[in-house]
Amino acid sequence: MNCTDCLEKLDRYVDRELTDAELNEVRRHLAECPPCEDLYRLQVNLRRVVKVCCDQGVAPEQLRSRLRQILF
Amino acid sequence: MVLVAEHAAETEQQDRFAEEAIGHLDTLYRGALRLTRDPARAEDLVQDTYVRALRYQSSYQVGTNMKAWLFAIMRNLFWDRFKGGRPEDVSLDGDGQFALYDTLRDPSAMPEADVLDRIAAEEVVKAVEQLPELHREVVLLVDVEGFAYKEAAEVLGVPIGTVMSRLHRARRQLQKLLYDYARESGIVHSKGDEA
Repeated sequence: MNCTDCLEKLDRYVDRELTDAELNEVRRHLAECPPCEDLYRLQVNLRRVVKVCCDQGVAPEQLRSRLRQILF
Repeated sequence: MVLVAEHAAETEQQDRFAEEAIGHLDTLYRGALRLTRDPARAEDLVQDTYVRALRYQSSYQVGTNMKAWLFAIMRNLFWDRFKGGRPEDVSLDGDGQFALYDTLRDPSAMPEADVLDRIAAEEVVKAVEQLPELHREVVLLVDVEGFAYKEAAEVLGVPIGTVMSRLHRARRQLQKLLYDYARESGIVHSKGDEA
């Protein structure tokens, strides 16, 4: 696998959307290619940071009460 | 007696549906906030989503992914209500650049984990909210909610390939937005600056 192939599969690698065979290929390439490994870590961190930062906060209590009245 | 029993069973089923649906409220509200970027609109959107969910609850198959089902309702309402109809594809300006990636190839640059972890949460949220809606919603579904590509494709009503390309472009744009912010705020130095 070359860098172009690796980068093309990187999103799916990060998102665990590859087949086992593809996953192993990417893993092998990353182990021997520091620039691709750097980009991989960047993607993982980006996904983690976005998740953590966007996953905060709760719905307002008034909205919850209104919905309970509608639903029950 | 049979009728009474039937009615009781129906009520029980209805309550189960309602409990499960309301269990996704915080998640939906956060998604609505990201989509509308406005708390009042987000509340309206979520309320209308539940009203519609209740009306069409017979189309929900028990045991399938209710969160995905609710997100699909909300997302369609969002486009109908705030964007004047279902979306056409959009393109991103400056899509061809891997800002952080280019920097990583520069040995004088800071490691990327450092850069991202030192950006305040509200700046990350702001960057996500700056993405065009079509890209923002894919990031919400896959990165924030953890949907598989197939599930995201079903929510959005598009092929998996479209999910992948939108996600890829969205992430590149996010990298650029966050890296630009990091540079402007002095979290990371441009090449040639003193570290």
